[in-house]
Amino acid sequence: MGLLRYTTYRFLQAIPVLIGISILTFVLANLTPGDPVRLMLQGVEADQEMIEQVEARYGLDRPMHERYLDYMAGLVQGDMGHSFHRNQDVASLIASRIGPTLLLVLSAYAFALVTSIPLGIIAAKRRNEPFDHVSRIVALLGVSTPSFWIGIMLILIFAVQLGWLPSADLVYPWWSPEVYGHDGYLEHFVETIRHLVLPMIALGTLQMATLMRVERTQMIESLQGEYVKLARAYGVPERTILRKHAFQVAQLPIITIVGLNLSTALGGAVLIEFVFNINGLGRLFYEAIIQLDYQLIMGITMIIATMFVIGVIITDIAYAYIDPRVTYGEAE
Amino acid sequence: MAVGETQVESGSEPGTKEVETGWRATLRKIKRDTTARWGLYVITFVLAITAYTLIDGNLSRLTFGNVSDFAMAEALPIFEHPERLPPPGEADTNVPPAFHADGSMAHPLGTDPNGRDYFTRIVYGAQVSVSVGLAATFLGLVGGTIVGAVAGYYGGWVDDLLMRAVETVYAIPPLILIIVFTVFVSGGSPDVRFAIIGVGIAFIPVFARIIRSEVLSVREMDYIEAARAAGVKDRNIILRHVIPNSFAPVMVYATLQIGVTILIVAGLSFLGFGAQPPTPDWGEMLQTSHSYMHSNVWLSIWPGIAIMITIMGFNLFGDGLQDALDPRIND
Repeated sequence: MGLLRYTTYRFLQAIPVLIGISILTFVLANLTPGDPVRLMLQGVEADQEMIEQVEARYGLDRPMHERYLDYMAGLVQGDMGHSFHRNQDVASLIASRIGPTLLLVLSAYAFALVTSIPLGIIAAKRRNEPFDHVSRIVALLGVSTPSFWIGIMLILIFAVQLGWLPSADLVYPWWSPEVYGHDGYLEHFVETIRHLVLPMIALGTLQMATLMRVERTQMIESLQGEYVKLARAYGVPERTILRKHAFQVAQLPIITIVGLNLSTALGGAVLIEFVFNINGLGRLFYEAIIQLDYQLIMGITMIIATMFVIGVIITDIAYAYIDPRVTYGEAE
Repeated sequence: MAVGETQVESGSEPGTKEVETGWRATLRKIKRDTTARWGLYVITFVLAITAYTLIDGNLSRLTFGNVSDFAMAEALPIFEHPERLPPPGEADTNVPPAFHADGSMAHPLGTDPNGRDYFTRIVYGAQVSVSVGLAATFLGLVGGTIVGAVAGYYGGWVDDLLMRAVETVYAIPPLILIIVFTVFVSGGSPDVRFAIIGVGIAFIPVFARIIRSEVLSVREMDYIEAARAAGVKDRNIILRHVIPNSFAPVMVYATLQIGVTILIVAGLSFLGFGAQPPTPDWGEMLQTSHSYMHSNVWLSIWPGIAIMITIMGFNLFGDGLQDALDPRIND
C-alpha cells in the first residue's frame, strides 16, 4: 500500500469512530432526567402550552432514533443544529471560536516540543548526573501540577506582581493590526506573542513534562541499540551518532504520544481558556454547559473529538512516513 | 533508581511466568527503589491525613450526636453552624497566613473570605480529593478489566464491537466527556458522585486496552489451554486465570492513573462541575479563591500545592513500581 492509499484507508477507518461519537454525545444529551425542554426553559415561567411549542419547534416530541437520524442528516450537510440560548447557528458559532483554541493548543505544543526534546536528549546523555536529576524533578512536577493552577500562578507572578505580561485574552494574528490600534505588523506580532506566552506555558507544561520523560527513556534505549554500538565500533563521532542514528529512532514514540496527548491538551484548553479569559472553543463549551445549551454542547463535543481523531491520523501518517520499517496498515 | 536492575531484566521476556511468582521479589525491589520509597512515604502521609479526617469526623459525630459531620462543620462554620458565627464585625475573615505580619498561629494558613480556617479546609480537602481519585480509578479499572478481558478472550465480533466502543469513548477528551456526562446525567446539578462515575467511564478505554493486550498473550498460554481442555467454564477461566495473570502491568498503570484522576477531578471542581461548596475540596477551593485572586493571593496557593504533593506521591510510586515490575511497559 502506498502512502496515499494508507492515508485514505486511515480516514475511512475513522468514520465508524466518528459515527460512534455522534451516537454517544446524542445519547448523553438525551440521558437527562426530565427532558431537554425543561432544562432549556429553566428559570423561565413556562406553561404546558409553551413547553409543547418548544418541543414541536425543535422536534423533541418525536422518538429519539428519528431525531438522531435527523441530526445526522443535518451533520452530513454541515448543519450542526441551532443554539437555543444564543439563537445562532451552532456551526457558525463554532467556526468563530475555533481559531483561538487552535492557536493556543498549537503554540502549547510548539513550546512543549522545543523544550522537551533538547532537555530529554541532554538528560539521556548525562544520565544520573545532576542535570538529569534536576530535569527529572522538573518533569515530575510538570506531570503532577494542574495546568490551571500553573496558569493562576503565572498570572499572579508575571501579570499581577511584575506586570510584565497581560493576563487575559489573546491577540489574534489573523485580524488586522488596526483592530487593536497596533502600530504596524511588528507591534501586532509582538503583542500576539506577549498575550500568548502565559497560557501557552500553562497548557504546554504537562505536554513538555510527558514528552521529556519519553524522550529521555527513548534516547537511553536508543543509545544502547546495536546500531549505535556498530557505529561506535566504526569510529563514527559521538555527535553524529547522537544526531543521526540514536535521535531519529527515538523520535518515533514521541510522534505517537504527541497525537494521543492532543486529548489532554484539548481538555486542558477548557481550563486554560477559563483562567485566561480566552474566547475560544473551550470557553464556548463552558458557557454552553452552564446554559445547558444542548445542541451547542453536542456540536462542540463532536468537533473536539473530530479534532482529536484527525490529530491521531496525522501523527499516524507522519509516523508511517518517517519510519521506513512500517508497512502501511497491513499489520493488525 | 533501579536503572541497573532494569537493564539486567530487559533481556528476559516481559509478561511471562516470572511476573506471577515474583510478588515477593517485587516488594523487595520496591523497597530498594528510592523513587518508589519516596512515593510510598508521600502516599502514606496523604492517606494518614485522609484517615485522620475520617476518624475525626466520626468520633465527633459520636460525641456530638446528630451533627451531620461535626469536623467538617468546624471547617465550615457559616454554612452549617450559623450559631458559631462570631458577632458581626468580629469575624476572622481574610486573615493572612501565620508568616505574614498580620497573621497569627491561630490560623496557620489564614482564613478564607468566609472566616473558615484554611489549614483545616486543606486537611479536610484530602478526604474528597483522595477518595474521589481512588474510587474513580477503581471504577475505571473494574470496568476496563471486564471490557478488556471479555474482548481479548473471546476475540472475533465481540472484540471488534467492544474495541470500537472503547475507541469512541477514547476519542472524546476525558475532561469534556466527564463534564458532559456529569451535567446531563445529573440534570444540570452536578456533584462529586456523578464526577466519580464520569471519570470511571472515561478511564475504561485505557484500562481495557492494556488488559486486552495482556489477555491476548496470556490466552495462548499452555495452562489456559489445559483449563479449557479440562472443561472449565469460560467465565471461570477469565476470572481465575486470565485476569490475575494480566494484572501486573495494570497495577502500575492504575497507580499512575490515580494521579491523572486527581488532576482531572481538580479541574472539574475548579470549573464547578465536581465537588460543590461548601464541601472542602482542593479544586473547589481554587474555584472559590479565583475571585479573590488579586486581594488574597495565598488562597490560590495552598490548594494547588496540596494537589501537587498528592499527585507527585502517586506518580513517584507508579514510576518506581514500573521499574520494579516491568521495564518495558511503556511501549
